[in-house]
Amino acid sequence: MSYHAEAFQNEYLALGASEVNAIVTVTSTGGEGGRRTGGATEIIIVDASGSMQAEGRIAAARQAAKAAVECIDDGVHFAIIAGVSTAQQLFPAPGELAVASAQSRAQASVAIDRLSANGGTAMGAWLLLASQLFAQRPGDIKHAILLTDGDNGERQGYLETVLERIKESFVCDCRGIGASWKVAELRKIADKMLGTVDIVAKPAELAASFQQMITAAMGKTSADVQLKVWTPVNATVRFVKQVEPLVADLTGKRAEDGPRAGRYPLGSWGQESRDYHICVDVPAGAGGDEMLAARVHVMEGDTEHARCLVRAVWTDDTALSTKINRQVAHYTGQAELADAIQAGIAARESGDDRTATIKFGRAAQLAHASGNKATEELLAKVVEIEDPVTGTVRLKRKVAAEDEMALDTRSTKTVRVGRGQ
Amino acid sequence: MTVIECTSCDEERAAGASFCEACGRKLAEPASAVEPSAAKKDCARCGAAGSVGDDGYCEECGMMAGRSRDHLEADGGASGAAVSDRGRRHHRNEDAMWLAVGVEAADVVVCDGVSASFDPDAASDIAVRAAGELLASARHPDSPAGAVGNPDETAELEDLERPPGAVGLAGSVSHAIAGAAAAVASLAHTGDPRRAAANPACTIIAAAIRGPHVGYGWVGDSRIYWLGPEGPAQQLTEDDSWATHVIAMGVDPVTAMNDPKAHAITAWLGADAGPVAPRVRSFTADEPGHLLLCSDGLWNYLPDVAEFGSVVRDCLETADSLLGATRALVAYANAAGGADNITVALIPVRPAETTTAEQA
Repeated sequence: MSYHAEAFQNEYLALGASEVNAIVTVTSTGGEGGRRTGGATEIIIVDASGSMQAEGRIAAARQAAKAAVECIDDGVHFAIIAGVSTAQQLFPAPGELAVASAQSRAQASVAIDRLSANGGTAMGAWLLLASQLFAQRPGDIKHAILLTDGDNGERQGYLETVLERIKESFVCDCRGIGASWKVAELRKIADKMLGTVDIVAKPAELAASFQQMITAAMGKTSADVQLKVWTPVNATVRFVKQVEPLVADLTGKRAEDGPRAGRYPLGSWGQESRDYHICVDVPAGAGGDEMLAARVHVMEGDTEHARCLVRAVWTDDTALSTKINRQVAHYTGQAELADAIQAGIAARESGDDRTATIKFGRAAQLAHASGNKATEELLAKVVEIEDPVTGTVRLKRKVAAEDEMALDTRSTKTVRVGRGQ
Repeated sequence: MTVIECTSCDEERAAGASFCEACGRKLAEPASAVEPSAAKKDCARCGAAGSVGDDGYCEECGMMAGRSRDHLEADGGASGAAVSDRGRRHHRNEDAMWLAVGVEAADVVVCDGVSASFDPDAASDIAVRAAGELLASARHPDSPAGAVGNPDETAELEDLERPPGAVGLAGSVSHAIAGAAAAVASLAHTGDPRRAAANPACTIIAAAIRGPHVGYGWVGDSRIYWLGPEGPAQQLTEDDSWATHVIAMGVDPVTAMNDPKAHAITAWLGADAGPVAPRVRSFTADEPGHLLLCSDGLWNYLPDVAEFGSVVRDCLETADSLLGATRALVAYANAAGGADNITVALIPVRPAETTTAEQA
């Protein structure tokens, strides 16, 4: 794999200014023909609680799990976990991982037919079993899918304790089926496990969703990529956020790495490109001073794949310092869009229609201005957008729960801006 | 930077020369060569020992410790010298220079990046290289026959009437500036996308000196002066600036120079400059003197030509070398405030009869 990192910023700061912003684009191009050179392990966790009997969900889950297994490349290790009040390994034998082949995939398919829905929901236990299985394969690219249709039934705080223990040790994409699961709960798991969260409203859509996740996971060629950020003395990192393809705040995930540097986990990588917004507070310099505000390295273990520089140049020329970089402005707006939607949903749930209207209005305005059509369409299912330019919206009386959950889970999806300045 | 010898004909060549005046062979890299990497330097800002990293920033405080272009010198011994300096107020040096010298011969180019454009330092850098290389490869009237070009072409050219020396040099300078203009214009579509919105731009002054003959040209407000044995300095160029323009139209010079627009330039090299029409001139020296090329970082502090002349002469008299005098002029501008980048080149020119006399 070869990586490239590039910083987009306006390096010119007004005298006295101390906040430095940059968008860092990390792009990896497939080395070795974009193929994996190491091992990979895939674990599929399917909720088999009693509620899965409704609307033919368990049948859809069986079908989706089978479709997913078919997408696993030969030689990849895999397992299937049935989620009830405890975690039960459905395939292969408890404590083991299968190696994908035509034969093992057929055996898995037979085992999946045994999946039946009766029991509770214990996500902490499911994830813990997955992490124990993954532990057999150090160095592998590790990916899990978690499918559920309800709330976690474990005692308060147990899931959090488990997540704290296993965080970032594998990537977990979470999918909720139906409308009785909690977005906040799955988002918490996805956030700690560097994965995604989404709603699958109709059981019929489940197989396609699983196939897409497995295919994406099979395309990963590096297991554990990190962003190392060096900042000068007396500087502080205000935040490091992934801003494309999804908004994800990485600030709290920092692990110190030597003097004045820290690492932020980016999870596994394939042939792809992601954008990060880095904001650093530095001591203000004098006119004409140039400072290196951050040196950003793309790391995999001790190997540096790429680096780029975030600079600060102080000037009394306001024509230079007042220009906001288009990338920074765009992604600042996209992050605000995600925040506005989530705040709007929270306000609506608590019955504060006034705040909800303001937040959704701002969201409609931001989505429209930035050309984020997908989010604008999702918003239109929750509010009547009267004028997207001014952000005038009316709350809808009746909103389908699935539509609101789709808006919530997909609020973090961003769009790219053209690279022109 | 040191004087080097042409490996082909042992002719002495100065730092910055890219060609041998005697045999026309291409020499080593030009004036803005990178300094050799040494042990890690101490940070001048926070004082941390050995903290300056390979990318030029302090590993402690993050401050830029210095760029290779912050202070450049080209020493052509007795044939010419040039110094370019960041000054005291600007964060980088957007001026660039080129100096190539031979015996009684020199090519010199100075460019000043337009600060309002994006990456003006790249503009000035590419402009001096393009113009310098074109001057180097030009078939100068006084260079030995067959030095440049293939023998067939030379044979055909023999029958043509050569233009008088200085006029021919002016033609070379005009050609070199046109090449620099094209090179700078091409920058708008490469590198940082901000270049497309505010394309890199710069001024240019170029001179080719062969014995007593001088050809020179300019675009923008960098200047060339002639300093004879006595009297005030003589400004050879006319600034392409708003002030010069309105003064020519009859506005009172003091009023014009006090206008905020006084220094706005009316011609430059860059993608937005349109067709560039450099003004070129030539002369043949009939008295010994010095050709001085400089960016506005120097002449801003010496608006009066009489004072300019005496300051330059003081520097020439006190310094023990041409480079010393050039350094002293840069130091003068820095002592006066160093508000802009400063680039100065000094080339001695001798009239025909003394040239012959000394060579005999």
